[in-house]
Amino acid sequence: MSAEMVARPQRGAPAIMTEGLTKRYGDVTALGGLDLIVSPGEVLGYLGPNGAGKTTTIRLLLGFVRASAGRAEIFGIDCQRRPVDAHRRLAFVPGEANLWPALTGAETLHLLGQVAGRVDSAYRDQLLDRFDLDPAKKVRAYSKGNRQKVLLIAALMTRADLLVLDEPTSGLDPLMEQAFRQCVREAQDRGQAVLLSSHVLSEVEALCDRVALLRRGKLVETGALADMRHLHALTIEADFAGPVPDVSGVPGVSGVMSDGSSLHCQVTGPLEPLLNVLVQGRVSRLISREPSLEELFLALYGTGQPADEAVRIGR
Amino acid sequence: MLFTARANRPTRLSALAAELLLNSRPGRARPGEAVLARLAARRSLRSAALWGYVFGIMVVSSALSYGQIYKTGAERRRLADAFGSNHAASALFGPAPQLQTVAGFTVYKVSMTLMIAGAVWGLLTSTRLLRAEEDSGRWELVLSGLTTRRRATAQVLAALSAAVAVLWGITAVMTIAVGASSSVRIGTGSGLYLALALVASAAMFIAVGALASQLAPSRRQAAAYAGAFLGLCYGVRMVGDSGTGYQWLDWVSPLGWVEQLRPLTNPEPLALVPIVAFTAATAALAVGLAEKRDVGSSLWPARAARPARLQLLSGPTSSTVRLGATSGVWWAIGLAAGGLAMGSVAKAAGTSMAGSSVQQVLARLGARGSGTSSFLGVSFVILAIVIAFEGASQLSAARAEEAEGRLQQLLAGPVSRTRWFSGRLVVASGTLLAVALVAGVGIWAGAATKPPGVGLGTALDASTNIVPPALVVLGVGALTMGFWPRRTGAVMYGALAWSAFIDLAGGFFTQDHWLADTSVFHQMASAPAAGPDWWTNAAMVGVALLAMSAGAASFARRDLSDE
Repeated sequence: MSAEMVARPQRGAPAIMTEGLTKRYGDVTALGGLDLIVSPGEVLGYLGPNGAGKTTTIRLLLGFVRASAGRAEIFGIDCQRRPVDAHRRLAFVPGEANLWPALTGAETLHLLGQVAGRVDSAYRDQLLDRFDLDPAKKVRAYSKGNRQKVLLIAALMTRADLLVLDEPTSGLDPLMEQAFRQCVREAQDRGQAVLLSSHVLSEVEALCDRVALLRRGKLVETGALADMRHLHALTIEADFAGPVPDVSGVPGVSGVMSDGSSLHCQVTGPLEPLLNVLVQGRVSRLISREPSLEELFLALYGTGQPADEAVRIGR
Repeated sequence: MLFTARANRPTRLSALAAELLLNSRPGRARPGEAVLARLAARRSLRSAALWGYVFGIMVVSSALSYGQIYKTGAERRRLADAFGSNHAASALFGPAPQLQTVAGFTVYKVSMTLMIAGAVWGLLTSTRLLRAEEDSGRWELVLSGLTTRRRATAQVLAALSAAVAVLWGITAVMTIAVGASSSVRIGTGSGLYLALALVASAAMFIAVGALASQLAPSRRQAAAYAGAFLGLCYGVRMVGDSGTGYQWLDWVSPLGWVEQLRPLTNPEPLALVPIVAFTAATAALAVGLAEKRDVGSSLWPARAARPARLQLLSGPTSSTVRLGATSGVWWAIGLAAGGLAMGSVAKAAGTSMAGSSVQQVLARLGARGSGTSSFLGVSFVILAIVIAFEGASQLSAARAEEAEGRLQQLLAGPVSRTRWFSGRLVVASGTLLAVALVAGVGIWAGAATKPPGVGLGTALDASTNIVPPALVVLGVGALTMGFWPRRTGAVMYGALAWSAFIDLAGGFFTQDHWLADTSVFHQMASAPAAGPDWWTNAAMVGVALLAMSAGAASFARRDLSDE
């Protein structure tokens, strides 16, 4: 069939590739010039505050909205021009679980499986078990979390080469969150790519090889979490037996807090100048740690001095 | 428990929260519960006033048109003879005493329609303000800070009785105003009594809706229970009025009590006793039950689980058929019943108006031929409007799939937008044809009860003939959804309402007036009297297809638009 031929991926094409992808609504730029690559087998965490353009990106990738400029490909298939072919390779979970209230869970899964055109039914049954979902119930009677599970199962059971997940775990309890993480890891092991847009930073930290950070429609950072941590401030905590030395003038140091016997600050760049000052006091305890993703996130998006600094350094 | 805590005197904080919640001015804080009544009043008074005008206009137009249509005593007697003893007609529309008088004609003309309209308004309004609020979760917010379930329900019902008073007041004022005309002559007291009879069913079914809201697990179900009870009431009084010796059944049915009020002809105020008692008892029961059950639950629980039925779930188009089947069946039942009713009175109606000026008026609506077939012609015009509404409702449902985000789930699969949209349009068009044919069979069967009736082929031709205008309405909807999605409902229903208005008001201007051409129904031939004009029909279908294609093409290109 010719459609199959057309749908065949280019060898080695990335799961997602965007170039200068832009969406404008009137004067508002919801997404400005996004360049992004997700490789097969990779889990990309897609982060940003509300309104940063995460969902817009996903709607562009799915061809739900038209790009104002730039292009986007899924396994080498232009997803704006040939959405149907692109959709053969992906499965999508939206953040809002809007389903047909009159259908039961099983009927919904059947319909969505038929539409997708491929279902691993043994895996589906296993997923129903893992997510502890009663498929005989009508969607009308499901809680928000259970409706979300229906969509997660619907996406995972297709074993699609690319999973596009837009805040997929809203409404799930911690046990189900664990089940979800397990499923994503399995998908990755099978070589599936995952775009995970999320607010749950611990989830992203646990699952993602790389993260892309978005602010006001622009990509501000992208890279492996480990690399990103290196780029950012280390947190230094020190206790002193004597007076606390003044570190405020030291290059790269910010966020200094001192209470007379202890010091708390962030440092970017080389540590040596700070250490030179610290040893002038009588250090009794010294802790240095890398920032958590949450601290990175707050540093990037929080208002105030450290944020701007971090952005400048990051870019 | 959170919701059983009695809040005899709401704390200042919760009262303030409720004030803010209900979008009132905190500066003018009143005792908390009045806020709820005010909110319910605000959400029902406008529709009550609107319906009051509709009731009033129906009374005014019936009263004024009688003198113009039936000019001579002979015409009036013929009308009274034809309908006064026609049991089929009285079973459907209620007894018809004194059709030789303005008052008797007016009561007969408006009573059944407004009795049903009032009941439907009542049950929809009370289930909306009680059960839909609960379904949406807003009710919990109100109850958490403000009042008890029992009192909140009572407050809403109090507001709704104010709405009934408004409905009554406006109807009465307009009735009394037209009653002052020398050709009508209805006194103040009689006008008030007539208006009371017209709104009695609204009051009773507000209470029924409130009770159903306690019994059913969702607003939709509550409205369905109340609607089923309305159907039962109608059926019982139908037997009572059918002249088959079960007259006493009129005293069993709430709608029968309203008929027994017999305004303007032979008033029987005693019938108010069961009406008031029923309303009060049902409302009290609803308020009592509201206290007994948990918020969000129902006394008749929903059947939440069932074995999977996988038929017709193989793709976007088949699931459209599956998900729309229930409403399609209801439309078919309603249209079959309507067709049956129209068919069974066609002969009597035709006889009564033969040679009268009614026929001239109908002729201006496009009716041709003998009395019977011109009555059937008008019946088919009405069916055409109803069927166009059915088509519009299906397109609204398609738009709702998009607006409410369910469409995303289908389009994220390998399904093109064109395939989804054209599937919806094909299913909608097919359903239109099916329900039109069902209505035609209903007319044929109804007419067959009074020989010579009308041929089945003729009836089916006439019912096929009403499909093209409905397709044009569907086309208008598809075009709007393609280019201006958020206005789909407004434009489509607007065009439909305008066309219906122009066509039904056709008596006011001549047939070839340019305004008449703005109606989608105007080009339709008046079948069965005149044979369907298949060329015109083909042209209409062509226009509809063109509009649908343009709409589909734009829909495939534009951004999905959800609210």
